[in-house]
Amino acid sequence: MNQASLKRNYYGYLFIAPFVIAFLIFGLYPIYNTIALSFTDATLMSKTGNFIGLMNFERLFADDIFMNAVKNTWLLWILNFIPQVGIAMLLSVWFTNARLNIKAVGVWRALFFLPNLLMPAAVAALFFSLFSFYGPVNQFLVRSGFLPEAMQFLQDVTVTRSLVIFIQWWMWFGQTIIILIAGMTSIPLPLYEAAMVDGATSTQMFNRITLPLLKPILIYVFVTSLVGGMQMFDIPFLLTDGRGSPSGSIMTNNILMYLKFSSSKGHIGAASSVGVLVFFMTSICALAIFYFLREKDSATSKSAKR
Amino acid sequence: MKRLYFVLSVLVALSMLLSACGAPATEKTVLNVWSFTNEINTMAIAFEGTHPDVDVVYTMIPMTNGEYQTKLKAAIGTADTPDVIALEAAFVKEYVEADFLADLGELLPIAEAAKTYPFVTDVGTNAADGVIKGFAYQATPGAVFYRRSLAKEYFGTDDPAEIQALMADMDKFIEMAAVIKEKSDGNTYMVGSSGDFQNPFFANRAQPWVVDETLVVDPMVEKYIETAKLFRDEGYEAQAQQWQEGWFAGMNDSLVDANGNSKQVFSYFLPTWGLPYVLAPNAKSADGAHDTSGDWGVVTGPLPYQWGGTWLGAMAKSPNLELAKEFIRFCTLDEKNLTNWATGVYTNDYLKAIDPQVPEDQVQAAGDFVSSQVVVEKITASFDDSELSAFLAGQNSYAGFAAAAPSVNAKLMTGSDDAIQRALNDPINQYLNGVIDADTMWTTWKDALRVEFPNLVIK
Repeated sequence: MNQASLKRNYYGYLFIAPFVIAFLIFGLYPIYNTIALSFTDATLMSKTGNFIGLMNFERLFADDIFMNAVKNTWLLWILNFIPQVGIAMLLSVWFTNARLNIKAVGVWRALFFLPNLLMPAAVAALFFSLFSFYGPVNQFLVRSGFLPEAMQFLQDVTVTRSLVIFIQWWMWFGQTIIILIAGMTSIPLPLYEAAMVDGATSTQMFNRITLPLLKPILIYVFVTSLVGGMQMFDIPFLLTDGRGSPSGSIMTNNILMYLKFSSSKGHIGAASSVGVLVFFMTSICALAIFYFLREKDSATSKSAKR
Repeated sequence: MKRLYFVLSVLVALSMLLSACGAPATEKTVLNVWSFTNEINTMAIAFEGTHPDVDVVYTMIPMTNGEYQTKLKAAIGTADTPDVIALEAAFVKEYVEADFLADLGELLPIAEAAKTYPFVTDVGTNAADGVIKGFAYQATPGAVFYRRSLAKEYFGTDDPAEIQALMADMDKFIEMAAVIKEKSDGNTYMVGSSGDFQNPFFANRAQPWVVDETLVVDPMVEKYIETAKLFRDEGYEAQAQQWQEGWFAGMNDSLVDANGNSKQVFSYFLPTWGLPYVLAPNAKSADGAHDTSGDWGVVTGPLPYQWGGTWLGAMAKSPNLELAKEFIRFCTLDEKNLTNWATGVYTNDYLKAIDPQVPEDQVQAAGDFVSSQVVVEKITASFDDSELSAFLAGQNSYAGFAAAAPSVNAKLMTGSDDAIQRALNDPINQYLNGVIDADTMWTTWKDALRVEFPNLVIK
């Protein structure tokens, strides 16, 4: 190895330095600090915290509020993720299908993406007004005979959960469509042409060509949605009273963490313990997704090349 | 709608903040003031008028779901703390009992001269060491406002003294609700929301929520829930929620149920500030078709109570501590300012003359009840033929509040009240809707309290 190439290697480190430094300060340090705080009883109003071992974690499992928040978060995420990917996949296939040849795909794509640009606060306020006791939904349903009398929608567990799921789906499926279309258009066209020549049906082409080649994209969608879903906060927080009402049915991990943080004394130690558990839960699940959906034959093909 | 409004006002507040930052540097001393409504901004502008060398940078953060409290707590130990903070009754004690606020003892003689109502200074004082850390410009005794036309229809009189006799205690109040329901065929509700009489019940507890770090459920709390359940089951309340559409619609008689039937609300529990800030502005519907101005009367109601109020404190670490104290003195103890504040001198034009960039809706209407007895005594007579008296068909509400204010008691207030009462709302709603029973309601509430009060002993 001569000196020139050594220097060139150093330049490489220089180039990645900005990212590494930013990551250490804004990524790694907060994680370290959160873990450190979770073993203390620190509050915002007192500044000093004492080391209390695993007390915060013990308290989390002393009643079922934390487990309830974890269950809610998974429920709200899974029930919005399945239709989100399902419908996004269907629309993406239609948009990229050469036989259907849908016009103005860009316009449709923009329309579906539009809800994503709305401020979650505004969306929550909109649905809050629509479904209030004296709101238009009650008026419509009662006057057209679907309901005998007005109901408190946002005090009903099923309705409120469904609303959160619907809003999450509605705001995010357009985003998924864009990613899936990008993935599908990157699949080489000759593969489909060859399949058509061999007499393959649309279903066969989707199962044998689109899905396998889309797998990296799907993993990406899966993992980013999981990470986002486990941190679900703004819509459930703003739709009702910010405490996961009714009956704690839309209390998510992050709302629980926020409640602990925003309590009268600001218990940041206790709040951190929620953050730490969510961090580990999300990390393990994301790694599991990578493991189970990994390219299973990649190892063998590499050794074959050698 | 309310939430949307808050979101918009945050944006406005932020853009104001940004434009203030973007302004060319001047020699003025900057005083940072944080609050949760745009109310104090009026006094901030007036303060700039009398102190031309000061630039008050005003930041408004709403507190619908406690955003203001959160933001304040997050900023309080850092370099970004403001100089002066507004503290609402629900959480003022938490700050008075902590170490971040400056000792305002040097303002006490001025408060004595202004005869500030004792409960106002009590709330601002840390009971543990007697140090005063907050002053308020308002005193906020509560009252009941009722519709005169409906009172005449159902009780044959709209005279405040007679109505007060009819609702002298809570049992009589319930009887009244039954009469109204019967005579109106269920089209008139006694109250818009059972949450309306939550404050009066809580104000008449014998013990605070927390004694020796242990949760206390006073019999009055149970009595409140019983009464609320009765009102829901018997249809005495409109099932509107406080601060939401239906609740406001009842004020201007535009409440329409889902079938399109018109409904009336007979009474509203509101304190001093409720008249100029809540009832009067909402007495006219947005389309102008409904107007209940002049159809209201006011009485003390079944239970004496006080509700809300805003205290001002200075951060001990503020680099402009003397100026911050002067700002607090001006807002809460200055006779001229309090007189201007209460009598409607601070019009939009008045404020625009000081700062041309003042938004159109920045204005202080007459009628807010101030904390200084000296000022109250001087200006009470001026409300005899004011716009607000006309709103109450000639009744001078100021005189009524002046009679009630000295007896207000704030001994029950603790720093935890806000969070404890917020946590109770959803379990109560679920109980009133018949989804859960009373036992589940209590356990749900107590579990929720453990989230926010890890060290609280809950039995």
